[in-house]
Amino acid sequence: MENEPMSIEVARVSKKFGAFPALDDVSLKLETGELVALLGPSGSGKTTLLRLIGGLEQQESGRIFFDGADAANISIRERQAGFVFQHYALFRHMSVLKNVAFGLSVRPRAKRPPRAEIERRARELLKLVQLEGVERRLPAQLSGGQRQRVALARALAIEPRVLLLDEPFGALDAKVRKELRRWLRKLHDTLRITTVFVTHDQEEALEIADRVVVMNQGRIEQIGAPREVYDHPASAFVCRFIGNVNEVGAAFIRPHDVEITSRRNGAPSLDAVVEFVNTAGAVAKMDLRLEGSGELLEAELPRSREAELALKPGDRAFVKFRDVRTFPS
Amino acid sequence: MRLHFLLLLFAVPAAHAVSLLNVSYDPTREFYQEYNAAFAKHWKAAKGEEVSIRQSHGGSGKQARAVIDGLEADVVTLGLAYDIDVIADKGLLAGDWQKKFPENSAPYTSTIVFLVRKGNPKGVKDFDDLVKPGMVVIAPNPKTSGGARWAYLAAWLYADEKFGRDEAKSKDFVARLYKNVPVLDSGARGSTTTFAQRGIGDVLLAWENEAHLALKEFGADNFEIVTPPLSILAEPPVAVVDSVARRHGNAEAAAAYLAYLYSDEGQEIAAKNFYRPRNPAILAKHPFPKLKLVDIQEGFGGWRAAQGKHFADGGVFDQIYQP
Amino acid sequence: MIRRLFLIGAALAFLVLFLFVPLAAIFAEAFRRGAGAYFASFRDPDALSAIRLTLLAAAIAVPLNLVFGVAAAWAIAKFDFAGKSLLTSLIDLPFAVSPVVSGLIYVLLFGAQSWLGPWLSAHHIKIIFAVPGIVLATLFVTFPFVARELIPLMQSQGRDEEIAAVSLGASGWQTFLRVTLPNVKWGLLYGVILCNARAMGEFGAVSVVSGHIRGETTTLPLHVEILYNEYNFVAAFAVASLLALLALVTLGLKSFVEWRMNP
Repeated sequence: MENEPMSIEVARVSKKFGAFPALDDVSLKLETGELVALLGPSGSGKTTLLRLIGGLEQQESGRIFFDGADAANISIRERQAGFVFQHYALFRHMSVLKNVAFGLSVRPRAKRPPRAEIERRARELLKLVQLEGVERRLPAQLSGGQRQRVALARALAIEPRVLLLDEPFGALDAKVRKELRRWLRKLHDTLRITTVFVTHDQEEALEIADRVVVMNQGRIEQIGAPREVYDHPASAFVCRFIGNVNEVGAAFIRPHDVEITSRRNGAPSLDAVVEFVNTAGAVAKMDLRLEGSGELLEAELPRSREAELALKPGDRAFVKFRDVRTFPS
Repeated sequence: MRLHFLLLLFAVPAAHAVSLLNVSYDPTREFYQEYNAAFAKHWKAAKGEEVSIRQSHGGSGKQARAVIDGLEADVVTLGLAYDIDVIADKGLLAGDWQKKFPENSAPYTSTIVFLVRKGNPKGVKDFDDLVKPGMVVIAPNPKTSGGARWAYLAAWLYADEKFGRDEAKSKDFVARLYKNVPVLDSGARGSTTTFAQRGIGDVLLAWENEAHLALKEFGADNFEIVTPPLSILAEPPVAVVDSVARRHGNAEAAAAYLAYLYSDEGQEIAAKNFYRPRNPAILAKHPFPKLKLVDIQEGFGGWRAAQGKHFADGGVFDQIYQP
Repeated sequence: MIRRLFLIGAALAFLVLFLFVPLAAIFAEAFRRGAGAYFASFRDPDALSAIRLTLLAAAIAVPLNLVFGVAAAWAIAKFDFAGKSLLTSLIDLPFAVSPVVSGLIYVLLFGAQSWLGPWLSAHHIKIIFAVPGIVLATLFVTFPFVARELIPLMQSQGRDEEIAAVSLGASGWQTFLRVTLPNVKWGLLYGVILCNARAMGEFGAVSVVSGHIRGETTTLPLHVEILYNEYNFVAAFAVASLLALLALVTLGLKSFVEWRMNP
């Protein structure tokens, strides 16, 4: 590739839609070649941030730098940002090949490769996204997964210095989504293009990203590697949003940190009554009602341990917590 | 053949030395078609100059309005003097236009008669018969049509004579007549079509010339004309629109065009098209039925008075006619 | 089953009664005195002039409304700007007002009694009761067709493809020509067909500004009225049959385009 991937810096950016603060003083630095997931519920500002980076929206204050240069002076056409949209946005009247070739064919005459070269490159990209043989079809004749791969090939055709993916797998069913997720990770490992990936699916973010940016109400809650945000959430919001969590009083406890015994064994523990047991799955899940406070607790334990305990709904049990987190309110 | 057709389609009409626009009212279409050809021949012979006359027809009041709004008529030949007065009021021609040509600038006259179905099954003889319950009368709308105003005034004139100029009784009489009119067409020609073509109504209140034309077009074996003993003398006037004709350089030709209406040939063509010629000698050659004719001056004190009293907004017609 | 047959029967009967019978009547009247009289009607200089004027008005109004309609629909469907809802309502204006009123608007604007009147007259510019007025009136009444057809179509397609095109480096013009326009081409053709049918068939607005000068400012529909008023029924129906043919061609094209739009 002739264009090197770039680093992106977002410095104190704010953006409002009417009275609604979509982004509130957001700062973020993306290293060259990394894959970053913007994760958050809808309305958290993640898509707005992506569109600002791509130049589809203008911020009210703050600045964005591409490789140190102020992006305000770089038009959308010059940003060389490859977009992939949730609903593909393929050109419906063009064949798959023409879709992929579009970015090259609209270049100014001086910079435009010859027709044969454009076609060769488009075919090469379709090969890269494993879509040989569908060149002549129209987008409507492809499955959702195929369409999104065409969209990716189309974005890659302009040799982007950054890839911006807006909920790219949001419209696909669960199985295809998982496959494409892994495939995208592998592709990224090959191409190493700086990539920003918007999703509201924490599992997706944790699985695919080098770093996860957790967003809430227009602000960044935490930035970190997947394991880091899971194990060391910086706020109650992150803790709640990523993985399951029990809240007992002001304490946050992951279900797999709940330890259960059927007999009091001397160590301090809480009394509870088993309400529900589910053993279908890799781990067994148990719901318990704490005596006294009446709070419901979800627990995850290895199936072997569950078999050992042999607890049924209505049985008395005793719980301890391996790890407990609290956050300043 | 096809090529020939296309050539015709895009060929530009040859330029003429003089081109006049005659803005006229509805029932004169056939008359002016014939007269224009005769005048062009006469002008060529007298002046050695080609003249082409373009025609525009429509309701008399509507045509006056179009001329005021900019329709560039060299001459107007309308249904009644008031419509030309309105144009004069806007300064397009002199206020004394009626003095420019003989006979109050009305080279031919007409009157209002009844057209009935063959054999006169309802026995219509006079205006009295038109107010009978159950009689269906077809007439155009006096608000928009010149002929309609003449028809209305003819009925009023009859009532005045019958009740000795008792206005309340005349008003009641005319009101009863218009109760028998199921539909008011906007123009004289529309009413004729309603009566003759669509077969609606027992009697049509029509221009004399229009009634004769209907007889000719739709067959004398289907209709007949009933001439009442008393009716109005309708004087359709003509005038040169000075400001326009002068601007076009047509003033002389326009005046000659209207003057020739009084010539023997003009009068003959008018009579042939069922307009009563002014020239008594030519009138005598044609079988126009005799009846008592009262003119607008005698019956109503002129057109401005009649217009103001009867047809202005809120006037007598508005009071008696509720659609 | 019986109910469905009844409904189909009712629809067919309606079609026959209100479409085929009048159409047949037009042609029957037009050929009443034989093919010779029928074709003679079109050799009359006034009829030729009416055909010429009708073609001229359509040839000017349709392309202008095509360009305007596409531009307006594009602006309304793909961008947000102040006054957008006002523009949308303005486009509908010719549909909302009676054609006669549309004509009167021009009389009030350009008539001799309007404030522009003296200036126009001084500069020998004729608008109403002349060809320009007829073209303007035609332009006005046919103005919504293309835009009205395109706006919902463009709105339903959203802006995603345009945004994608721009992000891929296309200029605004390239985006329009290569993405927006091809996506709406059948809808556009549909709008143009309707626009043309109305341009050639308009009566009311054109009647008001025409002045009815024979052979000069009469379009086909006005010429039909004149012939009819002159009791010249064969010629009236012969000329009307041209308009009927136009309607049939329009109907055929329209069905074809509809079929292409929803294959």
